Amino acid sequence: MMLATPETGLIGVLILFALLLAGLPIGVALGLVGMSGLVLVLGLEPALIKGGVVLVDTLTRYELGTLPLFMFMAHLFFSSNASRDLFDAAAKMVGHRRGGLAYASVGGCAGFGAINGSSLATAATIGLVALPEMRKRGYSDALATGTVAAGGTLGQMIPPSGALIVFGIIAEQSIGKLFTAAIVPGITQALLYCLVIWIVVRLRPNAAPASERATWAERRAALGKIADMVLLIALVIGGIALGWFSPSEAASIGAAGALAIAAWRKRLNRDMLMKAFEETLRTSGLILMVIIGALVFSVFISVTGVTDAVGAWVTGLALGTVPTLLLVALILLLLGSVLDGLALMLLTTPILLPVVESVGMSAIWFGIFLCRAMEIGFVHPPLGMNLYVIQGVAKDVSINRIFKGVMPFLASDLFHLLIIILFPALALGLPELLGN
Amino acid sequence: MSALRKSVTLIGGIALLAATGIDAIAVIGRNLGLPLRGSIELVQVAVLVAGSLALLVATVDNSHAKVHLLVDRMSDAARAMLDRISALLGALFFAALLIGSLWLMADLWTGHEQSEIVGVSWRAMRLFANIVFAAIVVALLGQAIRGKRP
Repeated sequence: MMLATPETGLIGVLILFALLLAGLPIGVALGLVGMSGLVLVLGLEPALIKGGVVLVDTLTRYELGTLPLFMFMAHLFFSSNASRDLFDAAAKMVGHRRGGLAYASVGGCAGFGAINGSSLATAATIGLVALPEMRKRGYSDALATGTVAAGGTLGQMIPPSGALIVFGIIAEQSIGKLFTAAIVPGITQALLYCLVIWIVVRLRPNAAPASERATWAERRAALGKIADMVLLIALVIGGIALGWFSPSEAASIGAAGALAIAAWRKRLNRDMLMKAFEETLRTSGLILMVIIGALVFSVFISVTGVTDAVGAWVTGLALGTVPTLLLVALILLLLGSVLDGLALMLLTTPILLPVVESVGMSAIWFGIFLCRAMEIGFVHPPLGMNLYVIQGVAKDVSINRIFKGVMPFLASDLFHLLIIILFPALALGLPELLGN
Repeated sequence: MSALRKSVTLIGGIALLAATGIDAIAVIGRNLGLPLRGSIELVQVAVLVAGSLALLVATVDNSHAKVHLLVDRMSDAARAMLDRISALLGALFFAALLIGSLWLMADLWTGHEQSEIVGVSWRAMRLFANIVFAAIVVALLGQAIRGKRP
């Protein structure tokens, strides 16, 4: 145990950082550094057995079912044309206002975020339906692309969120509590985006011309198309928040409901089901690999005591709660400019969570805060994955123009992050109120 | 899609459907006063099957998450080399996990571990998982030797 020192842990973190930047799969990099570190610190036999225990324990965790089943639900909805129906309904309701289709895109992203937990998938799917519509109606490229790139990040915050499920498993926190805590930040984030659109349209009316008003009959028809989905989503999220069922059970209810809705819409067939199986298994495998690697890495980090050392160092600075959290936010934003969301979460959770807890904040709050910081990484260069996803949809719009369009939303994201730091009740209020 | 690949997807999919059905029935049953005993154990089995096959599918499809900041700026040859090294290191990591898991299985083999309520044989489940992990190691070694399929 001579090597079980914070310095060993720190060297491990630096090697991991280098391997991640070198393009090694995130799960493999985390797992290899963790396993090699455990061999050095504990010896070969205990390290191998620990690895075996982590592998089997992870794959037999009941809560782990939450992840593939929510993904299964999302893939079933993809096949049922959910993204177009959600955007259409929002567009019929507010599309006639100046900037209305941009508001509708945010609404569509929020709705689609509630049936899938991925920022990239939300940006890509809503982008496919919303961007051509906005450009056809004369919206500026910058506003149209910026809105969908930023709106896509709602997919990660609004429950069920893939990032929060992974965080819950890694940090051993209640996924139900995390989902409940994400509801108000998700809603306020969407409202801030709407405020940004309102301001942009006020300053530059030509950026988003008004279009024709849909009749109430058209609106009712559009709302009727999404009623089943909205009811199911409300049941799933509401059921978790009110404690009617656990997140794993909610995922099953969601998947069973999505199957029933697909059958009701006459879209359920063998090919569609096989495609949903295939996509669900592929995406779940990708995330499981990262979770297993991260758990092995976490064991190594905790054995070296680096988290205690960092915690003691930060406590020694005696900065106080808000400055410490601002420092943590700065670290996350800096790392987020070179690491993608999952890597950022898995690298920083074992180290920064104890620091945040040492200044009196809860792990649930940190999960929301981290998720928000990850979302910002999706829309700021040089990584800004959502920007590239949107460029893939609108190929003739330059990345610089998309970035210009997303800038006001990025400013609102930073403001929102600050609000979450200054008013933790934004995240923690609802779980406390509902007593879950 | 090859027959083997289709079978893997189908078995994984059936496990997903099983987990969906068991938990959904358990929730409905609980609310009707007819609790489904052992539902958690059965879902654990379905999750183990779906999860281990999901790892295999993601590995065979080369769809593991990476940081692309530097990789996207590399030449094709450098990227191909890096892919092979990644696959080799992935095989090494999974081989280490497999050895640990086999070690545990060997230690517990004669213990005939069973779940408490429905008596699921964990020995059989460990065996299934280890066969899938071994397939993952083989797939990664194949990618390291041949290079990844585009």
